[in-house]
Amino acid sequence: MPMFDYVRAKSVAEAVELLADTQCVSRPLAGGTDVLVQVRHTPPTFQRLVDVSRIPEMKIIERQGDEICVGAAVTYTEIIESALLRETATCLVEASRLVGGPAIANAGTLGGNVANGAACADGVPPLVCLDALAHVRNSAGARAVPVADLLSGPHETMLQRGDLITHFTFPVMPDGARSTFIKLGRRNAQAISRLNVAAAGALSSEGRVIFARVVPGSALPRLRRFVEVENMLIGERPSEALFETAGAEASRAMVAVTGRRWSTEYKEIALQGLVARALRQVFTVEN
Amino acid sequence: MSHITQPLEYVGRPARRVDALGKVTGQAKYIADYRVPGMLHAHCLRSTMPHARIARLDTTPALQVPGVRAVITSEDFVNHGLYGFPVRDKYMLAWQKVRYVGEAIATVAADTPQAALAGAQAIVCELEPLPTLFDARRALDPDAPQVGPDRNDGQHPNLKGDHMLVRKGDAETELANCPIVLDRRYFTDWQEHAYIEPEGVLAMPTPEGGVVVYAPNQSPFINQGNLAMVLGLPANLVRVIQPTVGGSFGGKDDIIYESSAQAARLALITGRPVRMVFSREESLVASYKRDAMHMDIRLGADRDGTLRACWFRGILDSGAYASETPFTAWRASIHAMGAYRYNACDVDVYCVYTNNGYAGAFRGFGNPEVCFAVEQTVDELAEMLGMDPIDLRLKNCLRLGDETAHGQKLNESVGLIECINTVRRISDWDRRRAEYSRQTSTEKRRGIGVAIMYHGMSLGAEGADHAGATISVLPDYSVDLTSGLTDYGTGSRTVYVLIAAEELGVNPDRVHIQRPDTNTAIDSGPTVASRSTVLGGNAMRAAARNLRQTLDLAAADLLRCDPQQLVRAGEAYVGPDEEAVAWEKIVDHAREMGLILSAHGKWEAPKIVWDHHHGRGTPYMAYVYGAQVAEVEVDLRTGNTQVLHIWAVHDIGKVIFPQGAYGQLYGGITQGLGYALTEQITYPEGYIQETNFESYLIPTSVDVPEITAQFIESAYSYGPYGAKNIAEPSLVPTAPAIANAIAHATGRRVRELPMNLERVLLGHDLQPPFSRKPVEAALKIPPRSMPQTAPRVYA
Repeated sequence: MPMFDYVRAKSVAEAVELLADTQCVSRPLAGGTDVLVQVRHTPPTFQRLVDVSRIPEMKIIERQGDEICVGAAVTYTEIIESALLRETATCLVEASRLVGGPAIANAGTLGGNVANGAACADGVPPLVCLDALAHVRNSAGARAVPVADLLSGPHETMLQRGDLITHFTFPVMPDGARSTFIKLGRRNAQAISRLNVAAAGALSSEGRVIFARVVPGSALPRLRRFVEVENMLIGERPSEALFETAGAEASRAMVAVTGRRWSTEYKEIALQGLVARALRQVFTVEN
Repeated sequence: MSHITQPLEYVGRPARRVDALGKVTGQAKYIADYRVPGMLHAHCLRSTMPHARIARLDTTPALQVPGVRAVITSEDFVNHGLYGFPVRDKYMLAWQKVRYVGEAIATVAADTPQAALAGAQAIVCELEPLPTLFDARRALDPDAPQVGPDRNDGQHPNLKGDHMLVRKGDAETELANCPIVLDRRYFTDWQEHAYIEPEGVLAMPTPEGGVVVYAPNQSPFINQGNLAMVLGLPANLVRVIQPTVGGSFGGKDDIIYESSAQAARLALITGRPVRMVFSREESLVASYKRDAMHMDIRLGADRDGTLRACWFRGILDSGAYASETPFTAWRASIHAMGAYRYNACDVDVYCVYTNNGYAGAFRGFGNPEVCFAVEQTVDELAEMLGMDPIDLRLKNCLRLGDETAHGQKLNESVGLIECINTVRRISDWDRRRAEYSRQTSTEKRRGIGVAIMYHGMSLGAEGADHAGATISVLPDYSVDLTSGLTDYGTGSRTVYVLIAAEELGVNPDRVHIQRPDTNTAIDSGPTVASRSTVLGGNAMRAAARNLRQTLDLAAADLLRCDPQQLVRAGEAYVGPDEEAVAWEKIVDHAREMGLILSAHGKWEAPKIVWDHHHGRGTPYMAYVYGAQVAEVEVDLRTGNTQVLHIWAVHDIGKVIFPQGAYGQLYGGITQGLGYALTEQITYPEGYIQETNFESYLIPTSVDVPEITAQFIESAYSYGPYGAKNIAEPSLVPTAPAIANAIAHATGRRVRELPMNLERVLLGHDLQPPFSRKPVEAALKIPPRSMPQTAPRVYA
């Protein structure tokens, strides 16, 4: 096991100060479910881990007017147990239920999932689906960045040394909107997503789509909303044919970016099915 | 001494596992927990090429690394450490050549694990690539690169041992005359044992110049023999002790013997204890696997569903070394036609060398592979004939009095029909089968499938088949047992305690069992082939009966009566005056009489006759039987398969330790589930890709379905109390039952294992681009020392 220093920060201000230290290369530690696995094989690029997992300001889950605020150190288990998020962010709660297993859910955090930048992350598609902003602090100040804009490629983010994601905010979805998350793994727990889909939507009083979000994960090197799919849904009446057409469009959009890879033969079929299924869950009115 | 006829007191009744408490409280000690003063740590330098000549090997730079105490190579062993059974083809450390990625070349002992690793990294090892062979189906081509050692018997050097065959009548002619013939090709992939405890050994030098080795062996006696041979020591100076073992499933054979020899030599050189413990990654790269098998099968039948002929050709890819796989090939050949009657049968199995890692023993030992092929083909036949798959099996399966395809008359303990009928009833087969045949959903569909099997007990014609046991009364009136057979977690220690308690008429709490130690236990052959209950159980029963005889004599003397007049009241003895005398008093009296309160027992399996040249005979003393039904739900959009329920009914003879037997069955089904759906080892260009449990996917608790299990206790007269066995057979029918359920759900056959997302959805597998990175990370190899260009590939 490689050697490095460890310090636990008690506040965001202290964490930011520690991360800004030019004498010692520091990296935030939240749940440790990624960084501690990585250092087993790759020599660490840091000299110190700054533990942010117990900073009270980073553990909040609350409604602030028309926005929901979720701290970056909130664990998946805390998300699952939040009545507020069950009501306002079903897709995020569903994703949290499907992350790893109980041990990962107890330790892993939403901020860590974004900062790790994995294309197969389960926590990130729901955030993008919810139009979440990541609030980032460093010694120079604070900024808010759409989560999708923080991601620059597989295991790459726009975060700079000294940056700390403190929390996420996202607008409360329109009235009657629903969201969902579907995960496809090779087994039922402790599985890396082969594909996943976060989706949300709402219908007008006439039964036409007025709001749609479609965010497949593990599909593109850089996660984003599939706006081309969302646009074709807007104004339409939900139907099996519409869901299937949207699914096909999602596959087409994926392949347009990735080209034909070793997994494309499989993923283009599976993604169509998953997107159609997600939209069916979002738009099918229960009797 | 069965003169006192009483119902069984402990055998077949609920009992607590003797090792349960120690394991759940963390008190059980495994090799990785052992720490002794002055202990050194060992680390291996391993091959980075699938086939290469060792052009240069200079260990002196390693000795310059601070903390390094010794480095060894093949030169440090007698005859370069050549060993192996049944084919002597492997070295304790590679000599002249390496044949797979991960093969051990040199071993360093140092003060710390870090220094040992640094020492291994400092060794100068230049490898010159040799032509490689990865396609087992091409291994016996005249121009295939030679991977195996030279042979002087005219056989292809890439053939391991002899090719295995079974012959009955003229299968080609019989097939030509069958109105229905199916011709199918199947493939089963490598499987990793995934024992929870990776490999570890601890060797300690003795003042006499010998060595004591603690190792989780498949057989401590084979390890002892190997060590004496390669270290050049008399056997009495080599002692092997079995610690608590964290699972084996057949996987702790050669790889443990090799590690033991390396640690032992280093201990002898340095005069200090040497421990070597593998990381999970090193374990996955270096250790042997279940073989991959390519199978062609033809079944011929009449239109009424009567099976007439089976033709089978199997090529067993067992990689760079033989290990036990010539025996695997033999067991595969015996079971290739399934548990059915035929007029004619023609089976050939070839076990071949390649540069794909290497294969060895693994639970089921060839039968899971062939069962996957024959049980799907039988199912397809039912489909073609419009018959219910269970009806077709009932029509053709082996019954009491039948003769097997090998020519063995089944005279007793054939519970297969009862297994099939029971599993049909408890799974509500007919209703579910009919209901699921009417589905129209394009999203998810359910299916239900069946597979049956038989499995030869113990070693059969592989070789001498006997076991020994000892029993003694200690000064505190506890009873002490030894067996030469190991409990890897199977429950055999509890089985032996229950048998000894039953025979002696004492409470099981009084009975304790040592772990195998070559200085105290009797060589009982390897703990393999699900043989512990029958072989070890019979030996323990004989030992306990011998001791009981002595105690009965003492009791008769004390109570002044004939031994026949004695009865037991709990542990106490009661004579004609009807006064109960405590067991301790009888022990005291026996000691006063000068009797020795220890005994041993031995049991040898009935003689086996097998003609390897003509493929005829009696391959095993008897068989266990089983039938499993799987219910699945297949996602037609993604290929994701959920197994909803498994019903399993197995004829294992008398059940001795019920919780242990059910535990074996549930565990075997779980391992079979992984084999069926998710467990996949790939060796593109010889480099294993799956080096930890994030990529090698064994089932989690939420993948395991509800299991409804039942035993048919069809007594076997040679088994202790009529017992047979369960360890391996539990896994054998699971994958084909799931495959048949998938076919029922989707209407499509998956003929390759594992039936992963891609195979179920597309009908074929997809392979990601190959990478050396997993091996590089697993072996902690600095990237510069990995080969920069791909080795030449044959095919």
